[in-house]
Amino acid sequence: MSTPTETPSETETEGGTRLSYETRDRLYNLALYGSAALFSAVILFPIYWMVQNAFTDSQTVITEFSWLPSPETVTLDNFSVLAAGAVPRYVINTIVVTAGTIVVVVAVSLVAGYGMARFRFRYKQSFAQFLLLGYMFSPIVLGLPLYLIWSEIGLLNAQIGLVIALSSISMPFAVWLMWKYIQTIPESMEESAWIAGASRWRTFWDVVVPQTKPAIVACALFAFAIAWNDFTFAQILLPSQESTTFAPGIMRLIDQGGYTSWGDIMAVSLLMTVPPLLFAYFLQEYLLKGFEVRTR
Amino acid sequence: MTVHIDNMTRVFDSPNADRIVAVDELSLTIEDGEFLTLVGPSGCGKTTTLRCVAGLDTPTAGTIRVDDRDVTELPPQQRDVALLFQDIALYPHMSVRENMEYGLKIAGVPEDERREHVAEAAALLQIGDQLDKMPASLSGGQQQRVALGRSLVRDPSVFLFDEPMSDLDAKLKRELRPVVQRITDEIGCPVLYVTHDQEEAMTMSDRIAIMDDGELQQAGSPKEVYSEPTNDFVGEFIGQPAMEFFDARVESANGTAAVSMGNHTVSLPATAAELEGYVDSPVRVGVRPQQIGIGDPAAGIEAEHVLDEPLGDETHSIFETEFGDVTVVTHADFDGDGDTDYGLVLDESATQLFDPDSGVRIH
Repeated sequence: MSTPTETPSETETEGGTRLSYETRDRLYNLALYGSAALFSAVILFPIYWMVQNAFTDSQTVITEFSWLPSPETVTLDNFSVLAAGAVPRYVINTIVVTAGTIVVVVAVSLVAGYGMARFRFRYKQSFAQFLLLGYMFSPIVLGLPLYLIWSEIGLLNAQIGLVIALSSISMPFAVWLMWKYIQTIPESMEESAWIAGASRWRTFWDVVVPQTKPAIVACALFAFAIAWNDFTFAQILLPSQESTTFAPGIMRLIDQGGYTSWGDIMAVSLLMTVPPLLFAYFLQEYLLKGFEVRTR
Repeated sequence: MTVHIDNMTRVFDSPNADRIVAVDELSLTIEDGEFLTLVGPSGCGKTTTLRCVAGLDTPTAGTIRVDDRDVTELPPQQRDVALLFQDIALYPHMSVRENMEYGLKIAGVPEDERREHVAEAAALLQIGDQLDKMPASLSGGQQQRVALGRSLVRDPSVFLFDEPMSDLDAKLKRELRPVVQRITDEIGCPVLYVTHDQEEAMTMSDRIAIMDDGELQQAGSPKEVYSEPTNDFVGEFIGQPAMEFFDARVESANGTAAVSMGNHTVSLPATAAELEGYVDSPVRVGVRPQQIGIGDPAAGIEAEHVLDEPLGDETHSIFETEFGDVTVVTHADFDGDGDTDYGLVLDESATQLFDPDSGVRIH
């Protein structure tokens, strides 16, 4: 049996260059917190800058530079842009498109995921793999042909057209998640309902759907992020000023020639950042449940 | 209501293996009010049979009738059966009350009537104070009571059980058995109860049907299948501890028959004439461990003591013999000794003879 006093001598004999556990521990923590701090700075500083500029007098934003906001230049004036010009239109369009995408994604992924979990059909595995193939294309590659097709069938500048495009790129993930989630619900629960007289549809509605709540939230959140933050599809498929959403819209604010009101742009940006944060914050418990595969 | 299963076969096609015959030409009738238990080792086709009766599976051939109505192809929704699942299958997002009244709700029974039925069933099952809880907060035994209640309120015309107690511990099982019997008596419909536990089958059933490898081996009352097994499989499967078998040879002297196992001979109550065709041929002798006595090595099959399992009121003693390990039910005070030679004496009136090839009982 080795006594505690023997331990240091053992480390010495094993290799003189070897660092003690304490030093290694310290170095590890340094690297860990150092890298975390670096990444936080890269990600958080622009957000800080956005918030700071949104609340700063628009003239000051352009003419002066300061790390910290000074009390005399703080103002809410920039937010008046939200009620003026094309901005309200952009915001409403974004909300409509996002809501539409969430509804479509949740509805389709529930039905598709149920079908994949409960029915046997040929090439199911290949079909599932094919779904993931959708991720291999960048939005711009899909967007340009879609532009031609949409303009042909009259979906260009229609929000439903963008909803369809955004839903289809969200679908692979959502269907896959729902499929895996529904697989964890014991089939005997459905069988028990059938025997009690419930039709397959009724059983789906009464027994399966309520139990998929965490997966529904995860899919909704995913669709929300895709739709709310989308730039490429909206830019291509909603070219008109009237119908476009926030992301392409803000680009137009910048490009409005000569004078760029950074204060206004930051105010709009800030407003559009808040909903995703709230969404993620209040649903995080559900979200985590949705991603964990339950054990039987 | 009477359930008739006629020549039912269920074959599963599997893509990479041969076809699996889960149930092979099974014919069985469950009378009105009869509690029939389907028992057998796992994979014997008992659950497949039950699923076919429930409508969750469809037979490849044969028919299932309830009275005169052919239900073979009917979906489960139209069969008016109740099924208790092994994994209980309560809906986790509904309260106990909602779980119990779900079937009635589907059937369109008005709410006050539903409440009345649920209250009645809950009182009978002693879960009246659990109605507003969620299933997850109940114990396994209580959950199974709720599942029973869920079936009870619907007053089904056939009641099916798919190993409902196999996840419960021994004490809970014993507690729940009389509850199940009371409930099924109350409903008074044909009951098909599937289990792999022969003790459950023996204690609860009016009639037991033993299956092996997709085929029905024997159906009869618990006493009948215990004392008059049709073959060695039933003999071994029913009864605790399992029947012991010895390779033996039939001998005949002066018209009386005897079987010799090694150097031990047991005379039989049968005459040589009754064992026509087996005289001087090998047979298997089956004896229940309760019918084996301990004596001198000269008087029985030579045996060496291995270990004792005292159960309090009796002891299961295991001996090593030339026929392999043999379990004997001995007196509670029996204390085996590895140095002593024992002889196992078979009760001649309790020996059963089986054909060594087909396993069919000869005598």
